[in-house]
Amino acid sequence: MTATPIFRAEGIQKAFPGVLALKGVDISLHPGSIHALLGENGAGKSTLIKVITGVHAPTAGKMYLDGAETGFASPRDAIAKGIGVVHQERNLFPRFSVAENIFLEQLADSWVRPVDYARLNREARPWLESLELDIDPATPVSELSVARMQLVEIAKALSLKSRVLLLDEPTASLTSSETDRLFTILRRLRDDGTSLVFVSHKLEEVQEICDRVTVLRDGENACDSRPMQGVDRNDLVQMMIGRAESGGAWRHRDTEAQPEVLGLTGVATALGHRDIDLTVRKGEIVGLYGLIGVGRTELAKCIMGQFAVTGGELRVDGSAVRIGSVAEAIHRHGIGYISEDRKGEGLILQHTVLENAGVPIWRKLARAFGSLSDRRVEGVVTPFLRKLEVKTPSLAQTAGNLSGGNQQKISVAKWLAAGVSLLIVDEPSVGIDIKTKAYLHDLLRELADNGTAILLISSDMPEMIALADRIAVMDGYRIRGEVANTGVYRDISRRIMDLIHGESAARAG
Amino acid sequence: MLHLSRLSRADWFGPLLATILAILLIQSFSASFLSAYNIEILLLAIAVNALVAYSQMVIIAIGQMNLSVGAIGGLAAISFAGVMEVWGLPAPLALLLALAIGALAGAVNGILIRITGISAFVITLATLSIFKGINLGITEAQPFYGIPESVKSFGASILFGPVPLLVLPTAIVTLLLWLMLRRLPMGRFILAVGSNEHAAALSGISVGTTVVAAHAISGLLAALAGVLVVARLQIGQPSIGDDWLILSFAAPVIGGAILAGGHVSTMATLLGVVIVAIITQALVLFSIDPFLVQVVLGAMILAAVGLNRLRARTPLKGSH
Amino acid sequence: MSAQDLVPASAGPLSPTGGGLSRTRFFLSNEFGLILLIAAFVAVFAFTTRGFLSPFNLFSLGRNSAVNIMIGLSMMTVIVTGGLNLAVGAIGVCAAMVCGWMIEVLALPWPLAVLGGLALGAALGFVNGWMVVRTGLHSFIITLATMSIFFGAMIFLTRAESFRAMPEVFSAFGKMKLATYLSPLLLVTLACALLLAWLYRFTVTGREMLAAGANPAAAELSGINVNRAVILCHVLSGVLAGLAALMLVTRNGAAIPSMAGQLGQDWLLPAFLGPVLGGTLLKGGKVSVLGTVLGAFLVTMLTSGLLMLQVGAFWVQTFLGLMLLVAVLLDKARRSYLARRNLA
Repeated sequence: MTATPIFRAEGIQKAFPGVLALKGVDISLHPGSIHALLGENGAGKSTLIKVITGVHAPTAGKMYLDGAETGFASPRDAIAKGIGVVHQERNLFPRFSVAENIFLEQLADSWVRPVDYARLNREARPWLESLELDIDPATPVSELSVARMQLVEIAKALSLKSRVLLLDEPTASLTSSETDRLFTILRRLRDDGTSLVFVSHKLEEVQEICDRVTVLRDGENACDSRPMQGVDRNDLVQMMIGRAESGGAWRHRDTEAQPEVLGLTGVATALGHRDIDLTVRKGEIVGLYGLIGVGRTELAKCIMGQFAVTGGELRVDGSAVRIGSVAEAIHRHGIGYISEDRKGEGLILQHTVLENAGVPIWRKLARAFGSLSDRRVEGVVTPFLRKLEVKTPSLAQTAGNLSGGNQQKISVAKWLAAGVSLLIVDEPSVGIDIKTKAYLHDLLRELADNGTAILLISSDMPEMIALADRIAVMDGYRIRGEVANTGVYRDISRRIMDLIHGESAARAG
Repeated sequence: MLHLSRLSRADWFGPLLATILAILLIQSFSASFLSAYNIEILLLAIAVNALVAYSQMVIIAIGQMNLSVGAIGGLAAISFAGVMEVWGLPAPLALLLALAIGALAGAVNGILIRITGISAFVITLATLSIFKGINLGITEAQPFYGIPESVKSFGASILFGPVPLLVLPTAIVTLLLWLMLRRLPMGRFILAVGSNEHAAALSGISVGTTVVAAHAISGLLAALAGVLVVARLQIGQPSIGDDWLILSFAAPVIGGAILAGGHVSTMATLLGVVIVAIITQALVLFSIDPFLVQVVLGAMILAAVGLNRLRARTPLKGSH
Repeated sequence: MSAQDLVPASAGPLSPTGGGLSRTRFFLSNEFGLILLIAAFVAVFAFTTRGFLSPFNLFSLGRNSAVNIMIGLSMMTVIVTGGLNLAVGAIGVCAAMVCGWMIEVLALPWPLAVLGGLALGAALGFVNGWMVVRTGLHSFIITLATMSIFFGAMIFLTRAESFRAMPEVFSAFGKMKLATYLSPLLLVTLACALLLAWLYRFTVTGREMLAAGANPAAAELSGINVNRAVILCHVLSGVLAGLAALMLVTRNGAAIPSMAGQLGQDWLLPAFLGPVLGGTLLKGGKVSVLGTVLGAFLVTMLTSGLLMLQVGAFWVQTFLGLMLLVAVLLDKARRSYLARRNLA
């Protein structure tokens, strides 16, 4: 373990217009090691990966390969120098065969020499075998499962003589048995001397497989390439969020007697949810916890009327309803939804702050012939933008030019202006700095205190425990149970994990 | 059974089935459909239209579109006829010149798209107008009549039985294209770029060169189509290519090409051309109004994209 | 940090009707560039040609630009959604032929026939929009197919024959000169442009169209019926295409199947030139009605000026293509310049 690192980066800085994403980060990668790279969203993890793989050139700092200073002119250059990467999104050609996907690289020498597929297939076999992939190299990639596609990408990286292999969230879309198989293979690669970098949000997996760890926070090292030994889960979390998981701001709120705003009984949806029971009362913050991809956002969209509820009962303010469209959910039932994908689904980035903040109330404010002046919208929206301290030079500023925090404030303001009685908030603090996050948390509490019912979707456990009154736990498109929050992190997080794992264990057994 | 299911997944299987059905159906209503005369007319139409369709298909393969296929074809056609009439160039030299003009015009499209980063739609709309304008500027809308006998006889002779000689270049091009898209790195690069440009760049493929090459090939094919039309019509009409736009998209789409790129098939496109030709011919045969051809063509495009979409929505489960 | 960071436009020096454009921004805008270009070319043509500013030439310039601007507006309304409408020409001709048919065959009064033509334009636009929304396919392929279908059906039904017995009002309106040089057709077009400008800036429907075009997912989750907005855009496009064709009818005094070329393809270039020169984003969500009007006018004026310079009618098309190229390049350069300035 004390061998010289294959790759070392020192004092890496990366500035984007208006933001310093990396403020002098170190990392060193050793042969025969699986190195965890951790950090919250926005901590600089993906920027560091892009620097190491040659997508971005660092603004300052040095990189060494085998002790000699190096730099990468392009992703191609990094690959040529032995830095391989398997991205979260697949970089394969679905209609090409496995062998051709692995060796496309080598065809690039000539434009007209016919491809010898028999030879490609022959040469691909050893790589597939080394990863225990029992597939015909002539199979089109589109016929493989996601897990196998990922292994093909690993084979491709290895065939390019990668000595450092970065894996970005490799288990995000794998089942637990597929994950186990992947880990077996990663361990073997490690034993063969490859230096692996494992990027994941799942701390359990990180602890299971990694022997070294680097944690980033706010673009700086919270820890630099230290052995995993002697680091427990709480230490990792503390390094990632910069403090012990505080339940400090949580306070008990008595909402038992309040009327129900949203109620779901035995709800099934077109997207595959079954037997969903959930209630949110006036002034209550109900958490919907679960890992990514277990159906939380999808449930929100069904409640909003974008996808159909196919069974059970959905109640708003106590009476059963069918919500046929998002417009109906907003205007008739007073439900608002703040998307986790702020850029894709939340805001219209190329439009102005005023237009973004006013969308849901346009119809309400319109006069004869649907005419509507900016002044009318301003009148309604401005107080809320002021209240949320949105920092913008003017209302005519393009929303895309504002910081993530300010954009998120606009998404909140638009629903406040629309006067919704139930707000569904999906992963509110993704990509937002810690200060704005604290502010948002205060704001959500204040909203609830003033009577808004809030359904909070988050996979950020500290956030959940800091905010929610009750926490419903979702896994596999079902509600696995509910935990009354007491604000005690250790206790609540264990009970939540038990609900998830209890079910997984039951399924496995 | 397993074989059949594999077969049915091939791109050309559906179009082939449709072709056979159409032939059988029409033949059962009109015995003269498969007469030698009719087959010759069919083959003549297919010879030209296939090249037009290939010209668009290569661009669809890289995930773009080329509105200027017809304009390039027309420009090459009048150049071919023009240099023979005005300068008295021998036919082979004129052919080379016309093909070079086509390839160059295509390359210009590719280069403009690549260096400006502006969508292929806008660029080829602009060059469509430029190429067509040059065509009209040179000819002043008057045809060139001075086509040498060698070209005329090439256009009118018969290879064997009902098969006209004009089919030969198209057949060769079909084989070459099939080989290119299946076996040659160039073809594989074109499909790779169309399928996932980012991944292609990461795999060491020069995306810029590939895009320009695809457009040059497209221009070359359009030019060849233009030359064949001159040989068939025996005059250099400035209006050659004016009606290629719909046709060029119809055949690849009927053959199952995905407009998003990365998925085309030479054989399926050829069958798409055959289907269009058969149906057009049937309309004439049953003395249904030839004006309705346009309606049928449009309806076939809609039906084909609808079908392709259905097929994409029900993917076969991955075999583990 | 405080509320002062937010400068409410109502309290500032800008009136909301100013659209938030500051003066310097206006000078950097596409519209201003077009005005300069128009002024420059007017000067050039006034000096180099005989009779460019003669009442007769101004009249025909106004009449031609009325049609071209209308065609550009028809395409613009669909570009707003991030789509396009290749069938503008086909729809236009269909509308004109129905109008002619209602007058000549059904012997209906002409105002009814005009309404009938426009209604058909709206209906065909609806067909396009409905199919785009229902299939989720890009409007390129849908309108490519419908362009063939609409035009083919029209040719089949009319046997490619023109309707020439149009009432006197039509050609009289086409020939009418206000104050010796102004064609009333131009006033019709400008009125339409004003209505569209009002629609996009001061009505909920227009705002919803823009929002749906800029980011359909976000618009949907904000309660906008995106499908309805997209269909409405196509209907609007159909009506405007019909209007443009009816204007051509008044100019020609007849409804002619070939007035927009084979499949209506001849309209495609003018349809895109106006909006693209005018700075409407092809990816949708942004629109400039004034830009489209100025762009289409510039194109018409240049065509007319070049013809007077005896450039040769056949080369004009090449010139228009080059102009489209230069325009998109310039626009790209201007945008990247603005983007750099914003960052600095």
